[in-house]
Amino acid sequence: MEVFIAQIINGLSLGSIYVLLVTGFNLLLIVAMIIHFSYPQVVVFSMYIAWMVMKFTNNSIILAIAAAVGSAIIMNLISAPLFQKVMKKREGVDINTTMVLSLGIGMIITDILSHGFNEGLPIAFPENIVGDKSVIEIGLISVSNGQIYTLVVGIIAVSGLFWLLYRTRPGRAFRAIAEDPNGAKLVGLPLFKTALASYAVTGVLGGVTAILLAVLLGTTSPGMGEQVANKVLAVSIIAGLGNLTGGLVVGLLLGILEAVVQGYISGSWANAIAFVVMLVVILFKPKGLFGMKL
Amino acid sequence: MSLPMYYFLSITAVYILMSWALYLPYRVAHLHFLTVANMAISGYFAGYMVMSLHVPLGIAIITGFITGGIVGFIISLFMGDAPTFAVVIVGFTFIYITRTVVENTKAVGGTLGLFGIPSLFGNPSLHRWAILIILYFLVLIVGFLIYRFDHSRLGRAASAIFVDKDLARSFGVDVKKMGILLQTFSSTIAGGCGVLYGFIYKSFNLDYFTFSLIGIFMTVIFVGGYTTQWGVVAAAPVLYGVPLLFPPAIASWRIVIYGALLILVLVLKPKGFITREFVYKIERGGKNGFRFGRNKKINDCRS
Repeated sequence: MEVFIAQIINGLSLGSIYVLLVTGFNLLLIVAMIIHFSYPQVVVFSMYIAWMVMKFTNNSIILAIAAAVGSAIIMNLISAPLFQKVMKKREGVDINTTMVLSLGIGMIITDILSHGFNEGLPIAFPENIVGDKSVIEIGLISVSNGQIYTLVVGIIAVSGLFWLLYRTRPGRAFRAIAEDPNGAKLVGLPLFKTALASYAVTGVLGGVTAILLAVLLGTTSPGMGEQVANKVLAVSIIAGLGNLTGGLVVGLLLGILEAVVQGYISGSWANAIAFVVMLVVILFKPKGLFGMKL
Repeated sequence: MSLPMYYFLSITAVYILMSWALYLPYRVAHLHFLTVANMAISGYFAGYMVMSLHVPLGIAIITGFITGGIVGFIISLFMGDAPTFAVVIVGFTFIYITRTVVENTKAVGGTLGLFGIPSLFGNPSLHRWAILIILYFLVLIVGFLIYRFDHSRLGRAASAIFVDKDLARSFGVDVKKMGILLQTFSSTIAGGCGVLYGFIYKSFNLDYFTFSLIGIFMTVIFVGGYTTQWGVVAAAPVLYGVPLLFPPAIASWRIVIYGALLILVLVLKPKGFITREFVYKIERGGKNGFRFGRNKKINDCRS
């Protein structure tokens, strides 16, 4: 039972990372109307940038956070005009083209990380950022400071985003475009500018997620982006594409499932089981459990 | 035949076949990445049959096609009319599951893979010729079948589904059956290619079946042009061959080059270089003695 509880705690912190990623992904989907499959690869790229900055600034955490957030925003804003250009029409989501474009961006990011950083080897973050110190210990249950940071910052970030969406004017603009792009255009909402704002907001979320991943895992590798991208898209599909609340629930559930399975089965098989569960759900419910919001 | 030439010709043929395997389901707007997982599943299964059960290579190749077809058919029963993103994620997920299973299965060599696949006819030189003949025979057969498909009522139905699924349904097109047909055909090709891909290198390794491979096939289709089967034929030799001429320092960045090319083409020439209109023009031009210049407008009207 203790193992189970310990893994639930692990799962919640991992799940909060998935929630952040899925929320960013879904926000881009409903406002900018793109499937940014390589969004998690942008996050992993930001982790590398943070690592580089720490390496050259005597492990400055503040600068690493700034660099991660800055690089994620820049990467998102650079890709924005490309996505806007390939979309046939602003009224509908051209899923195929934007997804292929995003896969192209992902290919470039992964290969640059494989060749350009640390000779393609996994990187390890300095000790001062990695949250592996045990804060609470009850029998087998151990909660590290990294898990607490991830959970707390994850809750704050997602709450902040929901506050932005449901309590502010820009948020109302986001939701209006998500609900009815033509109607939003008719009442004078600037579609491109609002979409651009969503790229920036998801950039901020991406940067924060990059730092949280560094704190929680303490390491990353070029291939991690692809694997996480797959999970994020799967979570989004299972929840129902564009469904922010659904993403929140399914993201947390995936984190818990992965952690619990890892508690009882060896690493690589645990990952495969998570994928099998996702596969089965997608095969039987390809349009999601909570309904699509497109 | 020199070894580099053999590799160039054989891998180009695999690229053409595999890109066609992606092209077919894309006729109904499905990015069917299960093909790469199917390559691995069929390849490793055939490799196991040859290495452990001492099954002749010819039978192993046929088994590869059948295995691919069966896996594709079963999955297509669920994904025949699924949204594109669901098809994409199923493909990716299958790749991860396949990789995990292979990594943890000693019978297929685990992370090391299977090495020392024997030569066809017991002779390396004959093996190369046999592989090339099989591959190009397949290119001709599959190319002919796709050509017939594209020029049939089924091809037109697929085009209708690509443009608007609901409209196609209202015309009486069975979207699910079409998806099942194309995904199964695509998976069958992929299964056979997986076996032949391993037989070219005489080994099976997980590094052969990665996401980069999907990226390469996607680049071939979208740069060549996804609206006709000929784009793949033109793009595959160029995209595989040109990086071979680069100095090693640049060639190692070929995935970045492919990615950049893919993005550039999507932005500047969304339908790729060889479009359906271009093919019509050539067909019409051929019938009218290739009068492109002065009679261009007339040719355009006819097409």
